Amino acid sequence: MEQGALAAAISPDLITVHPAERDRYSQDMSFVNPVRPASVVRPKTAADIQRIVKFANQTGTPLVPVSSGPPHFRGDTVPSVGGAVIVDVSGMKKILLVDRKRRVAMCEPGVTFAELIPEVEKVGLRLNMPLLPRSSKSVVGSLLEREPVIMPKYQWDISDPLACAEIFFGTGDEFRTGQAAGPGSIAEQWAVGAVQKAPYGPGTASLHRLIQGAQGTMGIVTWVSMRCEILPSLEEPFVIGSSQLDALLQMAYWLIRLRSVNECFILNNTNLAAIFAKERPPRFQSLKASLPTWTLFYAVAGYEYLPEERVSSHMKDITEIAQRLGLEAEKAVGEVSAHEILKAVQRPSSNPYWKLRPSGACQDTFYLTLREKLAVQIDAMNVLAEKAGYPASQMGVYIQPVVQGTSYHCEYNLFYDPQNRRELNRVKELSTLAVRELMAKGAFFSRPYGESKGMILNRDAATLSTLSKLKKIFDPNNVMNPGKVCF
Amino acid sequence: MALSKDIYSAFEDVVGPEYICNDPVIMPSYHGTEFAAIVLPKDTAEVQAIVKLCNKYKLPFRPVCTGWTGKFSKGTLYLDLRRMNRIIEINETNMYAVVEPYVISAQLQAELMKRGLHLNVKGAGSNCSAMLRGHGHLDQTTSGDDRNHLAIEWVTPAGDIVRSGSLGSSDEWFCGDGPGPSLRSILTSAVPPGVTPGVFTKAALKIYHWPGPSRFPVEGISPKYYLSEIPPNFMARYFSFPSVEKMWEAEIKIGESEIAFELMGFNVAMVAANITTSNEEEEQTFQRLSKEVQGPGFFIILAGNSAADFAYKKRVLEQIIGEAGGRSLASVEDPRTEGILLCQCIRISASIRETFRPGGAFSSIPVMGQRDLTIQWAIGAGQAKEPLIEKGLIVDDGGAFFGWGVEQGHLGKTEIFCKYDPQNPEAKKAVEDWHNAQSARAFQERYFALLAGPNEEIGRGLSNYHLWWNKIQQALDPNGVSAGAGALV
Amino acid sequence: MGLEQYKGDMEMCCRCSACKWIPMQRVSGYRYAHVCPSISKYNFHSYSGGGRLNIGAAMLKQGFNYTDRLLDIIYNCQMCGACGVSCNYAMDMEVLEPIQEFRIKCVEDGKTHPALDQVIAGLRKHGSEVPPTGKRGDWALGLHLKDATKEKVDVLYHAGCLISYDKNMQKLAKATVKILQKAGVEFGIAGDAETCSGGRAYQMGYQEDFLNQAQKNMALIKQSGAKTVVTGCADGYQAFKVLYDKFKLKGNLEVLHISEYIDRLTKEGRLKPQKKVDLLVTYHDPCRLGRLGEPWIPWAGKKVPGDRFVFDPPKTYRRGTHGVYQPPRDVLKSIPGVKLTEMTRIKEYAWCCGAGGGVDASNPDFAQWTARERIDEAESTGAEALVTTCCWCEKTFHQAIAETGSRLKVYDIVELVETAIT
Repeated sequence: MEQGALAAAISPDLITVHPAERDRYSQDMSFVNPVRPASVVRPKTAADIQRIVKFANQTGTPLVPVSSGPPHFRGDTVPSVGGAVIVDVSGMKKILLVDRKRRVAMCEPGVTFAELIPEVEKVGLRLNMPLLPRSSKSVVGSLLEREPVIMPKYQWDISDPLACAEIFFGTGDEFRTGQAAGPGSIAEQWAVGAVQKAPYGPGTASLHRLIQGAQGTMGIVTWVSMRCEILPSLEEPFVIGSSQLDALLQMAYWLIRLRSVNECFILNNTNLAAIFAKERPPRFQSLKASLPTWTLFYAVAGYEYLPEERVSSHMKDITEIAQRLGLEAEKAVGEVSAHEILKAVQRPSSNPYWKLRPSGACQDTFYLTLREKLAVQIDAMNVLAEKAGYPASQMGVYIQPVVQGTSYHCEYNLFYDPQNRRELNRVKELSTLAVRELMAKGAFFSRPYGESKGMILNRDAATLSTLSKLKKIFDPNNVMNPGKVCF
Repeated sequence: MALSKDIYSAFEDVVGPEYICNDPVIMPSYHGTEFAAIVLPKDTAEVQAIVKLCNKYKLPFRPVCTGWTGKFSKGTLYLDLRRMNRIIEINETNMYAVVEPYVISAQLQAELMKRGLHLNVKGAGSNCSAMLRGHGHLDQTTSGDDRNHLAIEWVTPAGDIVRSGSLGSSDEWFCGDGPGPSLRSILTSAVPPGVTPGVFTKAALKIYHWPGPSRFPVEGISPKYYLSEIPPNFMARYFSFPSVEKMWEAEIKIGESEIAFELMGFNVAMVAANITTSNEEEEQTFQRLSKEVQGPGFFIILAGNSAADFAYKKRVLEQIIGEAGGRSLASVEDPRTEGILLCQCIRISASIRETFRPGGAFSSIPVMGQRDLTIQWAIGAGQAKEPLIEKGLIVDDGGAFFGWGVEQGHLGKTEIFCKYDPQNPEAKKAVEDWHNAQSARAFQERYFALLAGPNEEIGRGLSNYHLWWNKIQQALDPNGVSAGAGALV
Repeated sequence: MGLEQYKGDMEMCCRCSACKWIPMQRVSGYRYAHVCPSISKYNFHSYSGGGRLNIGAAMLKQGFNYTDRLLDIIYNCQMCGACGVSCNYAMDMEVLEPIQEFRIKCVEDGKTHPALDQVIAGLRKHGSEVPPTGKRGDWALGLHLKDATKEKVDVLYHAGCLISYDKNMQKLAKATVKILQKAGVEFGIAGDAETCSGGRAYQMGYQEDFLNQAQKNMALIKQSGAKTVVTGCADGYQAFKVLYDKFKLKGNLEVLHISEYIDRLTKEGRLKPQKKVDLLVTYHDPCRLGRLGEPWIPWAGKKVPGDRFVFDPPKTYRRGTHGVYQPPRDVLKSIPGVKLTEMTRIKEYAWCCGAGGGVDASNPDFAQWTARERIDEAESTGAEALVTTCCWCEKTFHQAIAETGSRLKVYDIVELVETAIT
């Protein structure tokens, strides 16, 4: 790539070719092959982005969009091919709209959870968060990656809480999805009282769904809007600990089916300890030892009207369900209180990132599945881990009911010491083996990252073929993050 | 447009002679269109074979479920999906149901109610396909539009079978998205202005908790059905408000406090239509109810998961209504009327009495999205109906519009229609003019755009969505056989 | 006027497909939700109530094009009226009337079905819808009943063609006689002079033949002095009560179905079913006793110009609301030991037995297909027996049971009452 040509396309101030900078983007904490980008650009405006995409089309330059700050974990921001330009939009930090009445917020891709949360809270709103994202995680990035959120009750559709998005497709054309598409500019829409909330359309297509899960292969997003929930006036968190995962899953099922609770997820003792142990061993080990194998966490909330009455009526119903299942809700498990969990999960992770605390590095394997398949899959993963020489007891497990209980995000967090080559190789090998084995047991890897993506995508040739047709329309020159997903 | 003997016999080979017909005498019952033929495939394999033949012979086709409405081009092959009518699965553990296109909502709902579950019944009525994309009375708690679909089995316009999401990868229906980007971006089913080309042969739908009885205690003989009792922890009321603003305020508070099972922004004309059994009775009831209400209003159903939950919801409702100056319509408090409305709204989704009964036709502008914004527009559209009412060209409904909150008020739906006699050319013309003028105003004033057909100006005003959609269609349907346009309920 | 008078009604059809289903709020599951045998069997929309109206409306405009397919559509319909009931839950429009007129027009235009022509030839020759075997009054030989053609009677029992001639059905007439005698009813029969009510001829579209029969019957009744006619079959009931009234022939004649009469006699204390009949039964509402048995409502008027499909004077639609549903059920309840369990499709939205509209003659396979569906539904209730109040239903069900090997028993209600009183 001609460096001068890029500089001619956009302001040279936005471009970095310094080797150290390029190296920062050449690898991440995943096991993908390191590839050094040719340069890094840091656009400030949508116009900058459009110019970059047009330039890429003219020159055949691969672009790799990045919205979150480091560390990255999934390999999606590491170029797959040489000569790529990293388009780092993490500096685009405008919060464009927070509207209490319409329960919507809108921000640029550089805005992190830590930055957006206080702004929405000011007007009495909250975000439906992923579980403890790292502090550098972009809100837009999380939404585009279809990360699971911790309040399944409010996730009506897997695309939630994303509402609308503005994108420059791989062609360089600007497009706004859903209600934001028009008529009129965003300013004109605001003038008439419109916000960018309804996700579907315009017309038959709902293209926000194409952008999500695409890992930047369709274009570069310049802002998104998202639905927000009401900030409760009263919250009562609970935990139920058990060695019987199935009982907890049944409990979670009813809590979500009856829409009794907001936050609702299950963690194993390793993960719960990883989140709350501020120091590495021995604190981590003693905390973990105090915890049951599995902990179901949920919170009941009250809003503007009669919050105490709402909470108490829900608690009464919940108690009946728990009794039926032989479970008992408590305010703490081991040394961790339900209140602590609630406060923690309503914010991004404190630093260092909780997944890095136990051993310094973490490899995640996650998929969607049915409730009744979880037990078999977790058993299989335990066996695989032990076989690979990774103690299953060290593995974190996070189970998140998603989309109002229609499926379950299951995530294995393999903590390891990145300096220990043997351990690293063991985890690498295990994570590849796990994908194959878990797929055979019904796991659906809806968000394929890294080395295993081929194995995942090859199972569904018909979908692959259709996606390829769409890719050719929106990024005909394959300049957008080539080599990712199936493109 | 007659099919040649050879081509006809090719399709006959697929479905058998019993399930294909091109006799002109049946065409009046198929939307009065001269179709090339009507075929009745029984399963996905037959659909695929038909679509492949359509590609071979460059013959446009359209799949149709119950076929309530639709506009079609002459010479199209009509795939009547009537025989594809199986409930494939009701997965209570993971809250979804899988159906073929000709399972109607009433059937699926009845099966779900037995299991303490229910679904979003589209506004077109429970007599229409359960797998449609659309909106309905129950949107407050069962979502709407394209948001209830999970995995879909789709015969593409080229005749390939695509099974989206988890279905394609792991043969399960729970997720329609991925691996990677979601095909639900284009698999959004069948409402105006466009439809996904090809044929949806099976779809998984989200289902929801039903706090009511396994079946309603319906008594009486048609059309005078009533409930022998209001089910425990259920209540239906109609509240009117001093102004639209107050109504909206109450509606949004109800959404936020998550107390309504259904919130349907009926106007009193629609209440009158639903609780009466003839046109004459409806007219009289409308006049009577109009005098009883103080302004615009909505119908609400509360349903508690328990007595405590129900009591809480009732108290919150009372407070919100009080703050907004709402007034309960006494007629609806009568348990007999209350029960009728419960059934009309939950089991029937109301539509026929309030739309077709008066004059035989209605012309509607439905808008999905942001409720407060579309209400602002609808006030003007309602006022524009008044001269037509005065001239006796459309049925007097007080110039009203209606609508409701979706997903506890996160999203919304507003709709306004004119009911008229389609045999009266003057009325037809006046209604068309009203429709066009109000659609144009919505676009010009930046409220929303109606996408009733290919329209360059509207397309340009909406991120050129039409150009992208055309490209998608061309990519999926290289032979141009999947005919567009028209609704398919 | 014929079909033309229903032009507006036919144009009102909005193609909602309600006519294919039982009323939506009565749908209680996936199974037994359909109500129209014709669309259920033949699938093309043209075979539904709405489809028939769409075709009728179009042909009024464009002319009548009698293809084989059209005649197949026309004659593969039991004229059971279920489509109209489901439609009229919500809509104000006639449904079965235009379908009936369409069929009458076919007959008038000579577009008949050969099997039905044969039935009508027999009717013209013998005054019977079924081929005669012996004399019509043979079933009453030795019973010493009053001959209404020779002496005045208050109550005339009209047995009907099938009961009179079919050896397997004559038991119903004999049971009826026993019941009426037990209750001390003074009644007579017309014996060999009895003639068909003409109801089935009307369903088949042969209006002239129907009227001919109606006139004969009313002349006989007038001569007999009968004030009340009691019918043994639902077709006869509907003919005497509804159709004769429609054509202004009925006058003040009281028409009772035997089940209504038994119910009345029981409630008056004149009949006391005392013998226990241990049987779990389900009850099949015959179309012409049930939804189509509701009284005729005379009306003449014009559409009011304007936005609504309303008339001056206002029109009251027959929506199936006032059919005969409860009396047979009350009779069953009055029999000690009989337990009634209901099917899904009952009363105004009952599924037809399959025999109506001449389908038993024109397309016996379709009639049997329809009956099998009902047998299946009856079996799903767990009942031991299917009770009906029409000999045509009973005959069709017996055939279906013989074919399927079902263990379900089929009775006419008079058979159970007879057992309970002897």
